[in-house]
Amino acid sequence: MAANYWSSTQRGCWLFTREKLAESRDRLRDRDKVAHSQFPLPDQRLLNIYFNQQLIKLGKRMSTRQQAIATAQVYLKRFYFKNEIRYTNPYLVLTTAFYLACKMEECPQHIRFVVGEARGLWPEFITPDVAKLGECEFALISEMNSQLICHHPYRTLSELQTELSLGSGEVALAWSVINDHYLTDLPLLNHPHIIAVMAIIVAVVFKPTHPGGTFNSTPAQSAQSTMAGAARDGNGMNMLAALADRSGNGPPRIQKLVQWLAESEIDIKSVIESTQELLSLYEVWEQYSEKHCKELIGRMVKSKNLDK
Amino acid sequence: MSLTNPPSSGSLSRRTATVGPGPLKRTVDDTYDARPSGASGYTSKVRVRDRYHIVGFISSGTYGRVYKALGKNGQKGEFAIKKFKPDKEGETIQYTGLSQSAIREMALCTELSHANVIQLEEIILEDKCIFMVFEYTEHDLLQIIHHHTQPQRHPIGARMVRSILFQLLNGLLYLHTNWVLHRDLKPANILVTSSGAIRVGDLGLARLFYKPLNSLFSGDKVVVTIWYRAPELLLGSRHYTPAVDMWAVGCIFAELLSLRPIFKGEEAKMDSKKTVPFQRNQMMKIVEILGLPRKESWPGLTSMPEYTQLQSMVLHRQPPHYHRGPNLEGWYQNCLKNGGYSSSSSVGTPGTDGFNLLSRMLEYDPTKRITAEEALQHPYFTNGGPVSGDCFDGIESKYPHRRVTQDDNDIRSGSLPGTKRSGLPDDSLLRASKRLRE
Repeated sequence: MAANYWSSTQRGCWLFTREKLAESRDRLRDRDKVAHSQFPLPDQRLLNIYFNQQLIKLGKRMSTRQQAIATAQVYLKRFYFKNEIRYTNPYLVLTTAFYLACKMEECPQHIRFVVGEARGLWPEFITPDVAKLGECEFALISEMNSQLICHHPYRTLSELQTELSLGSGEVALAWSVINDHYLTDLPLLNHPHIIAVMAIIVAVVFKPTHPGGTFNSTPAQSAQSTMAGAARDGNGMNMLAALADRSGNGPPRIQKLVQWLAESEIDIKSVIESTQELLSLYEVWEQYSEKHCKELIGRMVKSKNLDK
Repeated sequence: MSLTNPPSSGSLSRRTATVGPGPLKRTVDDTYDARPSGASGYTSKVRVRDRYHIVGFISSGTYGRVYKALGKNGQKGEFAIKKFKPDKEGETIQYTGLSQSAIREMALCTELSHANVIQLEEIILEDKCIFMVFEYTEHDLLQIIHHHTQPQRHPIGARMVRSILFQLLNGLLYLHTNWVLHRDLKPANILVTSSGAIRVGDLGLARLFYKPLNSLFSGDKVVVTIWYRAPELLLGSRHYTPAVDMWAVGCIFAELLSLRPIFKGEEAKMDSKKTVPFQRNQMMKIVEILGLPRKESWPGLTSMPEYTQLQSMVLHRQPPHYHRGPNLEGWYQNCLKNGGYSSSSSVGTPGTDGFNLLSRMLEYDPTKRITAEEALQHPYFTNGGPVSGDCFDGIESKYPHRRVTQDDNDIRSGSLPGTKRSGLPDDSLLRASKRLRE
């Protein structure tokens, strides 16, 4: 329920295995192979990066909190889990997800304002008619079975902050790792606390060791480069295994974390898999081109008249 | 809109309910028609009239109307369908975005499952309207209290009061442990099934209070029907807590025993500037029975936004009872005497345990007020044998059924004028003021 993740619909209805996710996507593709070959789209994660950037742009002028953006991203995932993107106008869907998430996360924005902002950003794809957004809201809620309450890893992160005596730099880094995980399938695959622990491990292990050194770039970027590097060198995958081996010898911060992990009885396998998922996101990120995503989506929407 | 709707793929089964009646029926999986790409518009495949037979109209409010319905096509049972009316702009009904309170109620009810909280069956989004389908409840506390004043006053048995209160607190504990504030508890919202189970209903004003992004105050300025409104809210508190619900439970407890609202104040209306007025009359009603709140026993009192108003209340009018001090005990003894509550009568008595519990619910300082969890452990419940889960247990007389009228059986007809809800503003007020600003 609301605060009880364990009896929530998120856990009961919106958590899948990797196989189940793949199966559902295959089914969507098999249903309309023509559309799929006619309108190729980039890797799902690259699309997610694009959508996320659009959401951030949309939220910017409304000073939206990160949590609402995160919720909107989850809504998009849930919606496109059940619906083929090639039958939708993604700009309308993401604007609607944003509008709905703001209401759910108690930072509501007026529908006219949201439509106005969206039109300012994507005039070709958003009509001035607010009823379109209202109608899309019905579709979105309906597809999500009115299950609108999302549990995010941010809460676990702040709960563990004291327990693991994390520094503010580590918390900031873990926070941006959590932000990044919305670009992957992880929110549909894992409990939020698994993600929070994964983010903490990444933050503690890859924390820039020289204060002031790498903090010129944003924490996410530095994590991104460090971790992409680690992945290329082939030692990223074994990071946790290595961590466990080092217990007793490693730096005290890491020791403490490893000890805590051992005592917490957390599903370490899922944590490791999540780390790998994140690493491969950072790898694929290097291929990201905003222009390319924009063109492909634009072509799809325009030639199928999905913007009308 | 070009959102076409391919048949949904995953068959998401709703979680199996942990407590309470059966799992929520799935609907939206099958909501969509398979349509060729290019077709546009949202259509619900599940249609209210295909699934339910509307037998009559129950009530209306600012949110819309509630109907009684019977299940169709093998779906058994009675249901209450709450229809949110769409905003009307001009002649045709348009999609204008759902109100935040509707969104909250839908999202919360979808997650909730407890034997003492109203059970949602399904939500149907059709024809620009939301239909929330709930289990049907034959009675509510307002109706039961009213029945006991007809043709002349006769008390609600002490055992029944105890069972009602226990179940109510049990439902409330569930809400509070899940970080849900009800915010509008009053007899009309406490539903009772024909088998005597209490269900906390109408979560239209309920909110999550776990680290809300905006302070709870900024959302909707006024909450909770005035007679059940906690003193800290009357004094302008911006941070409200589960204690506001506990105050309301105290008021309901008192009302079950005396058959009258204990603090029946007159509401000061909002002025033209939309500023929230100090509810002087309501505060006075409380003071008449509980005495003035004192900063010695309520340290937070002096920092309440309306503290000066409270002081001026004392300075300007000084009816003698202001200085008589607290007299809840006198009120209680009088109430027992008038109701004929005594251990020797068939009605029984809530006794001194009942008084103690009541006084702890009607504690001025919200931080000292008893919580739902503590209340359930109170001697009032632990002494004197088990509490029945059927509040009608051992009662001969039958209560009249809910009134269902026939004048409006067309659930599909456009927006009908809703009578003003007896509850307080939802965020339609907020939306109105937003519109003004634009």
